[in-house]
Amino acid sequence: MGHSRISPFLTPCIAYFGILLAGCGTVDLEIRRGHTNSNMLPRSVAILPFTLEEPDPEEVSPHELFRTCFYNYFSYLGYVDLPLKTVDQKLSQAGLTDSNKILQLSPEKLRKILGVDAVIRGRVLSASNFTGGIHAETSIKAKIDMLDLRTGDILWETEHKEMTYSGILSPTIVDIIQGQLANVNVHQAYFKTAEIFSVNMMKEIPDPADSWKGEIRLPEITYIETNLKPNLKLKPNDRIYVSLKGDPGLTGYFDIGSWKSNIPLKEIVPGLYTGSYTIKASDKVTNSLIIGTLKSKNGLTGKKFYKNGMAQFDSSSTN
Amino acid sequence: MTSLTIAKNISGPRWCRPLGMFLLAILISGCASDLQTKVSGNLNSLSKDQTVAILPIETSHAGQKEMADMFRQGLYANLKQSHFNLMEKYIVDSLLKQNNLINPANFLTINPMQFGEILGADAIVFSRINKVERSYFIVHSSIELSVSVQMVDTRTGEILWRAEQTEHDFSGIGKIPTGIFTALFAPIQFVTNKFNLRKMTSKMLDKLTALIKKPENAETNTKFENLVIAKKATTDLKKIAELQQLKAEWTQALALDEETKSAVLQGETTQETRKETLALKNDLLPPTPVAGGGVQNKVRSMVHEVLAVETEMAPLATVPEPKEQKDATPTPLNMLKATLATPIHIENHGKPPREIVKPEKNIKNDPIGSAAFYTVQVGAYKTKAYAQNLLSKLVKKGYNAFVTRNNKKIYRVQVDKFKNKEDALKLAQLIQKKEKLKNFITRATAG
Repeated sequence: MGHSRISPFLTPCIAYFGILLAGCGTVDLEIRRGHTNSNMLPRSVAILPFTLEEPDPEEVSPHELFRTCFYNYFSYLGYVDLPLKTVDQKLSQAGLTDSNKILQLSPEKLRKILGVDAVIRGRVLSASNFTGGIHAETSIKAKIDMLDLRTGDILWETEHKEMTYSGILSPTIVDIIQGQLANVNVHQAYFKTAEIFSVNMMKEIPDPADSWKGEIRLPEITYIETNLKPNLKLKPNDRIYVSLKGDPGLTGYFDIGSWKSNIPLKEIVPGLYTGSYTIKASDKVTNSLIIGTLKSKNGLTGKKFYKNGMAQFDSSSTN
Repeated sequence: MTSLTIAKNISGPRWCRPLGMFLLAILISGCASDLQTKVSGNLNSLSKDQTVAILPIETSHAGQKEMADMFRQGLYANLKQSHFNLMEKYIVDSLLKQNNLINPANFLTINPMQFGEILGADAIVFSRINKVERSYFIVHSSIELSVSVQMVDTRTGEILWRAEQTEHDFSGIGKIPTGIFTALFAPIQFVTNKFNLRKMTSKMLDKLTALIKKPENAETNTKFENLVIAKKATTDLKKIAELQQLKAEWTQALALDEETKSAVLQGETTQETRKETLALKNDLLPPTPVAGGGVQNKVRSMVHEVLAVETEMAPLATVPEPKEQKDATPTPLNMLKATLATPIHIENHGKPPREIVKPEKNIKNDPIGSAAFYTVQVGAYKTKAYAQNLLSKLVKKGYNAFVTRNNKKIYRVQVDKFKNKEDALKLAQLIQKKEKLKNFITRATAG
């Protein structure tokens, strides 16, 4: 008797907490033994095209969406990640366009093509989006791993299903309606699910950032000199000369405020870079500082402002 | 589909329509959002070649750290969808740490140009969590989030994007619970489950970054009407401009003085003068290398330089107290050829300076006054107002100061006229001591 009185109350309780827990969505990421040392983690990583084990839905490609979303969050970690476009470009140049075939490639071949330490492979096992009456659901189930191309080992892997749900078990009517409306936009619904999947994964993926922090050093510029002098008004055909001294063997350029960017500097002797810009009649630069930049191969840039003069255009010269 | 469209499409029995409207009203009010965002037209010129650094998020108290981390990660992922070339978080954090910039609350007090040099970034994003408020009252709970974001071009100090957003959501009776159980427990779950906070943050970021992800779609009301420069950048740019102006004037004045001195004193100068001139010339040389946290010091020193020059040029001390006159200390012979840089001990004895040092053969009383004379030059300016400012201060103190203008259009502030150098030197020494004004003796022609 007592059992039958409690049961109607317990059932929704259990179901409700079940849904709550499902919403929390922790990812069970398995890190292979021997790969917990962050010093041994790969530096550069490429995210290979994700595959979809099911027929591609007409409206969206959940696996491509997931890959983009995953990349946006993965970039936040301390790896040097190859932009997706670059990855696709390199694979395409190697005659590889079929995502399934790419996954079959050997670590050596992948390393040769992409030039990275590791790759992330993603297989979307199932993806669904359903909205009907009082039930709306979007889910992505995927298997993702990181393959160390230096050793051929799998560093970590996971198989997880992420689901966003709204329906009869939602706590309020408004939540149900909001959930239905949100789920109607299929692209957005997949993206949001992929986002939750990615965020949950990032919490588990080993981050080597601390290992590299000590190595971060921007290219050094010891001085910058220009022919600009205080109160000097530039006229058409005047030339701004810039020279800067800094680390040798880098790419140098200078900016005139934000008005003119990336004007190249030539390294005339190791560590000494020079360049110039000729003012045109159409130029309307006002009070802009000259900024010298040196860029290293790994994309880090060192900047230095020239503060002894500003580029100012003589407006009267065009009148 | 907008709420309005849905409202129009509601059909069925008469009682259905008000119910539908009621539900929609709840839907809209259920998750309130207040967003104010504006972009600059120059944002579009920030190409993929330029780098953007998202700085650590400022929080108002330690309890917001988790939200701040979540927000920064989300902001990064959202801006990654745009065309920006984002600097990786660990690089930004590492460089900030190397420069002892660990407190985000101080970031807005630093000139964006400094961040440009420290991080090598073309633009930086400052963000602040203004509020994370969770409240619970039996059958009602709510979460309110408020953030401010600003993207600044480090090359110009221009604010490229500014946004403030408040997001509010609740759970409770107002959302029509599906049962008694959910009416009681949903509010608790709403405020305690981190997933809801993350969902709200994600939703907030979608709205917040919508404009900056596609700035080309910005409408007039979401564009800055004028160029907006960050406050700190404005101040420092002004100081740099002032410094440049002063340097320009000094350069011209020095060139002029060198000419005058070489003509009058046959090119001989004291060691002190050489030092002074050299120091000023060194200011015009390329900046010295800046290492590590030196960027801040460099700017500070530049600002200090401006102040130092101003202090040296502008203010005059209080009116000299009359003291009993005493003979001046004998002057070494070599000083006769020199510009004075170090004070020489001279005592006043109860008379105003002009009277004390008034030479016996002051030009005014001298028949040769109409011809060449010696005078003490205390300043040279390209701007007349500066010269007049100094002149009025000197005149108020009783000096027989005057302004002359040479053929290079430099306004020179000079004091008194003397037939011989010794008298001029005495006055020069006094001015150096009492007024802390560097000066030199020059020869000029009256008329």
